[in-house]
Amino acid sequence: MGYFDVPEIEYTRYSNRQLAAVPLALLAVALLVLSGSFLLTGAPVQLGMDFAGGAELTIQTTSSEEEIRNAFDREPDSIQAIQAPGVDNQYTVQFAGIEDEGIIQGLSDQAESNLEADGDASIVQSESTASPSFAQQAQQTALLGIAVAFLGMSVLAFLLFRTFVPSIAIVASAFSDIVIPLAFMSLAGIQLSLGTVAALLMLIGYSVDSDILLNNHILRRSGDFYESVHRATRTGITMTVTSMMAMLVMGIAASLFGVELLASIGIILFVGLATDLMNTYMLNVSLLRWYKFEGVRS
Amino acid sequence: MGPKAFVKEYWRLILIIAFVSAALVALFIPGGIIADDSLAGENETVDQGASNIEYGLGLEGGTRVSAPPIGMTADIDIEHDQQREVAQALAVYEYENADLESADTRVRFHEDNNRYTAEIFSADVSHAEFAEALQSAGVEGVTEDDIEDGVTQQTRDSILDTIELRINEAGLSGGQTYQEATLGGQYYIVTEVPGMSPEELRELLSDRGDVRIVAYHPAEDGGHTNTTVLQGDQIAEPGTASYNDQRGYHYVPVTVDATEDEDGNSPAMEYQESMRELGFTSEGLERCHTNERFDRTTGEFDDQHDDPQWCLLTMVDDDIVDVHRMGGDLGQNMHAQTWVNDPTFQMIVPTQQDAHHLAVNLRSGALEAPLDFSREQTYSVEPTQAQQFQLYSIIIGGLAVLTVCGMIFLRYRNPRVAAPMFLTAMAEVVILLGFAAAIRMPLDLSHVAGFIAVVGTGVDDLVIIADEVMDEGDVNSSRVFESRFRKAFWIIGAAAATTIIALSPLAVLSLGDLRGFAIITILGVLIGVLITRPAYGDILQRLLTDK
Repeated sequence: MGYFDVPEIEYTRYSNRQLAAVPLALLAVALLVLSGSFLLTGAPVQLGMDFAGGAELTIQTTSSEEEIRNAFDREPDSIQAIQAPGVDNQYTVQFAGIEDEGIIQGLSDQAESNLEADGDASIVQSESTASPSFAQQAQQTALLGIAVAFLGMSVLAFLLFRTFVPSIAIVASAFSDIVIPLAFMSLAGIQLSLGTVAALLMLIGYSVDSDILLNNHILRRSGDFYESVHRATRTGITMTVTSMMAMLVMGIAASLFGVELLASIGIILFVGLATDLMNTYMLNVSLLRWYKFEGVRS
Repeated sequence: MGPKAFVKEYWRLILIIAFVSAALVALFIPGGIIADDSLAGENETVDQGASNIEYGLGLEGGTRVSAPPIGMTADIDIEHDQQREVAQALAVYEYENADLESADTRVRFHEDNNRYTAEIFSADVSHAEFAEALQSAGVEGVTEDDIEDGVTQQTRDSILDTIELRINEAGLSGGQTYQEATLGGQYYIVTEVPGMSPEELRELLSDRGDVRIVAYHPAEDGGHTNTTVLQGDQIAEPGTASYNDQRGYHYVPVTVDATEDEDGNSPAMEYQESMRELGFTSEGLERCHTNERFDRTTGEFDDQHDDPQWCLLTMVDDDIVDVHRMGGDLGQNMHAQTWVNDPTFQMIVPTQQDAHHLAVNLRSGALEAPLDFSREQTYSVEPTQAQQFQLYSIIIGGLAVLTVCGMIFLRYRNPRVAAPMFLTAMAEVVILLGFAAAIRMPLDLSHVAGFIAVVGTGVDDLVIIADEVMDEGDVNSSRVFESRFRKAFWIIGAAAATTIIALSPLAVLSLGDLRGFAIITILGVLIGVLITRPAYGDILQRLLTDK
């Protein structure tokens, strides 16, 4: 493995339009995916049990996956074998979008009566259920949480820089940093859960980090534009790539171990941070360059 | 160098060392810095493992059930002497789908703001019916729109008290119960108990626990009727579940409340008198064919019989637990009106489990309002699985930290920059863990996610400091260093502020697991910005300027 060096990007070769086109096109595609999914299924992203009602069971059994699939009155949305050191025969079984609370409560009984126990271990190792009405209310709370967080971040961005273009650049890039991972979730079939909501909120924080760094270097320091951008990229890319790697490792390890919360946070943050790299160093740089060289100063 | 100058020079380092040492004490010395022992349950041992960290449900095993209480409330405008009358009228009103008992209604006076509220704890009464019932009770000006779903804070407090008593009675330590507000102004009652399955906990919570003794006796029209003669709250001293060796039955010994009111009446006196009036102590003495009337296996009561019967039904909620006749000695004592001087008797039940159940219900009292399990959320983990999660958390956290560490070494190649960076990030985690141990915050999977997020943002900030300080050649004077450090700090501060703002909704809103994540991340960012990250700047300066 070689040393990790941040490459110098030759911004002078590309016009502002060229630079901004890629992230904007991707954002447009993402919005298209989300609205398409909304029209087809009624929700932009598949809602997990936390937000649609349902259950998640971790079971330990010697029965096969096929037998697990048939053990329940309702077909599970997913069955995942857990691959962790010293653990055999464990599976995570998910059910989402169940309307009737009675059915949800019956699932763990069905597991216990229809599956083979693995030695002395209990069949249902962990169980998490949410009734539809609880899920409905969690959904509203999560939406409000994201809205408040986004609004708060926007206000803070304007307070910090007090000029329109740099501030709106931060807000736009944060927006895109949330929308593109959402579209990714929709395409990859990752369900929206409490963990992914936490990841999206963290993303707001991470996304703004690199934007503030870039804005700060360009606007508040004297010196050549490209020199400032280069220095900001060197720091910013180091930061983001380090976090990305940590999240990737966490996401992979946690999904092998069946720790759903950590897995979804890891994977969504990885995708989101990758999006942030693109948005910060293509969209924001082009916006700032336009502002610096051509924009009307207020 | 004088001590004053020393402190001035090294205050950032002194601060981080002080915090790390305090955190280590809180973490590893048994009994370390424990804020307040009363915060933890009395039965809990202070030191369970190698450290003082407390684990939450997800890492220790147990069950959590959240469900809202069933009921609706209206503000009413009445005089003080109407209180009882209104409550009674609400209970006897003919609702379309519900037959309420007096325990299902409550009229409260709120001293703090001088108002009255009426509550109905039933899912089968509509808002319109509640309004009509209030009007028929003589309460003016309450319409359907004035009725709100939910129950009053007093009712919720009483529910929480009862649940707490029940958990303790069940002999389980470490359980807790609290309320959580939702966006719509509704409240969920959340109960967490280690070592219980969801079914068991649901059963503990779904018992309304309304214990009473009902007399089944001949009515004037020739048939038979039921009269409630003793209620659970009239029992002063419920005993514990007991067993009679000689005659082989399970029972709970009870003492009826004999405190006299202004008129010289006491619950014990009233019970004795109603037994006398209804004929239990005279013609009804020992006249109940208990084996024919009551099937102990199915719990069915059979009221098809020709001869008059005087039976005493022990009821919990809507279930008949057992049926008895009035015993000879007890009946004679009551007839002679001497029982009231020593108002005790035995509530006999079929099984030991029934006796235990009855004792718990009598001790904890009835749940003021039932909980709505059709709107519940549950989470449950087996202890063995939770142990695995502890291990996984350490592995996952360790891998994430190793990755971060590896990336830093690859990027800077200079151990003088990278090593202190790694140590600083670790110091942040140690301080945070120590803090969690000191305030006895139970750690869960969501907190682990928070710790990893803290390491992530922490390293980001350290990278900013390192790059900024090493910018444009060597740092040769401390003035240059200070000015660069201050610039870096502006970025870090701004970034920290946005992270805190982005996560603060989660720390306040009740989104289950995510609150822990948000709280740990916010705390971590604060500790980082105020204590550890400035110290890293100091260390770096010393190493780079060779001072």
